[in-house]
Amino acid sequence: MTTRITESMVRRGVLADLQAIDARLRLTQRRLSTGKQLTRPSDNPFAANRALQLRSELESIRQFSRTVNEASGWTTATEAALSRITDIVQRARELLVQGGNDANGQVAREAIAAEIDALTESLKQEANATYGGRYILAGTATETAPYAVGGADAFAGNGATVARTIGDGVSLAINVIGSDLLGSGQAAADNRLLHVMRDIAEHLRGGTPADFEALRGTDLARLDANLDELTRTRAVVGATANRLEIAATRLAELEESSLRLLSEVEDADMAATMVEFTSQRASYEAALKAGANIVQLSLLDFLR
Amino acid sequence: MGVSTFSGLQTALKGLLAHQRALDVTSHNIANQNTVGYSRQEAVLGASRATRIDAGALQNGAGAHLGSGVDVLAYRRIRDRFLDLQYRAQAMRLGGLAAKARGLEGVEVALAEPGENGIAHRLGVFWSAWSDVANSPENSATRQVLVEQAGALAIAIATLDAQMATAAQHAAAEHEAIVGPGGEVALIADEIARLNETIRSSVAARIEPNDLYDRRDYLLDQLSALGQVSVTDLGDGTIEVAFGDAALPLVEGTTVNWPQALAEPGGKLGALLELSQPGGLIASYRAELEAFAQSLADAVNALHTSGCGPAFFTYTAGSVASTLAVAVTADEVVTSATPDPGANEIATAIAALRGGAPDTAYASLVGRIGSDVGQVRREEANAEALVAAVQDRRDATSGVSLDEEVSNLVRFQRGYQASARAMSTIDEALDVLINRTGRVGL
Repeated sequence: MTTRITESMVRRGVLADLQAIDARLRLTQRRLSTGKQLTRPSDNPFAANRALQLRSELESIRQFSRTVNEASGWTTATEAALSRITDIVQRARELLVQGGNDANGQVAREAIAAEIDALTESLKQEANATYGGRYILAGTATETAPYAVGGADAFAGNGATVARTIGDGVSLAINVIGSDLLGSGQAAADNRLLHVMRDIAEHLRGGTPADFEALRGTDLARLDANLDELTRTRAVVGATANRLEIAATRLAELEESSLRLLSEVEDADMAATMVEFTSQRASYEAALKAGANIVQLSLLDFLR
Repeated sequence: MGVSTFSGLQTALKGLLAHQRALDVTSHNIANQNTVGYSRQEAVLGASRATRIDAGALQNGAGAHLGSGVDVLAYRRIRDRFLDLQYRAQAMRLGGLAAKARGLEGVEVALAEPGENGIAHRLGVFWSAWSDVANSPENSATRQVLVEQAGALAIAIATLDAQMATAAQHAAAEHEAIVGPGGEVALIADEIARLNETIRSSVAARIEPNDLYDRRDYLLDQLSALGQVSVTDLGDGTIEVAFGDAALPLVEGTTVNWPQALAEPGGKLGALLELSQPGGLIASYRAELEAFAQSLADAVNALHTSGCGPAFFTYTAGSVASTLAVAVTADEVVTSATPDPGANEIATAIAALRGGAPDTAYASLVGRIGSDVGQVRREEANAEALVAAVQDRRDATSGVSLDEEVSNLVRFQRGYQASARAMSTIDEALDVLINRTGRVGL
């Protein structure tokens, strides 16, 4: 038996086809207007999960970038402070060489000693360098000035490391401890800068042959040792800055590639979607036309 | 027995009457072409009982049957019961899948993933806020931002949980509305019982109530979208309808047994139960969300309290997702076990939780809901196609085809006209016999 085709079948078939095309058109339209091919997890559960993961990665990369920027600011400030400290120590060394020269009288040496005292205070001033309101040479006691300018020479900070996480599980120490360079003055007898500077001023004022001997001998040697230590520390800070710069570049690259991946997963291919949209619209129109014609036809039109 | 002179008139009359009935039926079909559940009918015509002429009717001495016209044998409803069974099975499947798809879509929309408004994004921002605190632990502004972001995350989790609970409640309410007194099931069952009664009295009087059968079958179609239906013919025209896994038949002849308890009724009711009941689909999503919220709160709290600080998040055990809240103010946020303002090891450790167990748990929940919705949508589309196919086959058998009915109109009209012509031909013959015979030469 051939299948009887009834009006209700035709009508339902035309309607169902129109609705199916309509649904596809709506989806395409949604993709075009949002620019996303993934608007709900059920559009493609696997891709949606991948998108979640990529978004989380992207967020973490951006956060690492912010951390690296912040750490770079910190090391730049440290670098600047160390550079100024080096300048001061070099000036002190010039004065020391000058003061150790026998040609100077005691008056001149007193003047030099006064300048050394001023330089010592400057050293403490520079060691109190801040970044974003935080003392950068004070260890983790970042809200306490490490040295009291015009006061005692004791180091008020601590020796703890300030570390920043610049990648998954990658922690980088970014701080320099002020007492490793300046020490805690004569009381601590640690041969650090403050101790040596105070000794120099004392020896300049003392004026005895033994003082001259010390100025020319041990003081100069100790100051030079501290200069070496400063240079070494600056090299370490420079290396840290370098590492941060490399990390920043790498994170920028990572961000770009993650964004590209996310876009591949989430974003609609506009050209392809537009072509799809146009062809769907054409087939919608064709279906409407065909449907309208078929639904209208009847034997009644031809019987007279 | 001889043949009456007027038997031809009677034969023609029968032709006229039968064609008139056939036209009536055709007209009924056309009138009902858009009636839902209507099956086309036809007048089954058959030759009338012949007039028996005894031996000697024919030249060779044999008797004969002289045809005496046409009768309507029956008004037949054209319907395939097997297709009804197939249709109801598919309608039940479609009803269930459609209800499930609508329910799950509500949950999926509540997720708002992937996007800026989802929990995944909030979680990422929360970890970033911890990282910012680790970068400047002395700064109270970053801690304030952290507390605010944490609050937003907790609210997002509680909102999602509440929306899922609402979706489950809606499903339960819909289920209740359908099975409750005055609900769809009760209405259908009552009408079937009443139809059973009318049909039984008709059948007892040997009348086939075609249109009542149609209505009853249509009601059974409706009922099958709600749950599993099986029909037993009781022989006197009435039927017994078993519904879902109810202990007693929903309709037994003219008695209705409702309400009854249903555990796995199938169809729309089954899907609504599956969505809403404790241990159901939505409840299992909520349990996953709960586990995610718990692991998030516990992981953060464990690290936060390791610095002798207070718990970062508070929650009520057993309803973590809905009660999650930030327990600390900006000043109480602990970044380190030491009192040094620049120390950040705890904040760093918490920031390093990013991408860990809580993130994975949430992503897997999103993946699960996404694939559940995708699957139920595909199944729904499949069931829709199957229902449409069975419906087409049913329409091919029972549906009214206008072209067919119009051509039948022409056919029966011609039959009627020809019967009338036969009658007037016989009438003319009789006229000759009665009025002209024996009047030769007058």
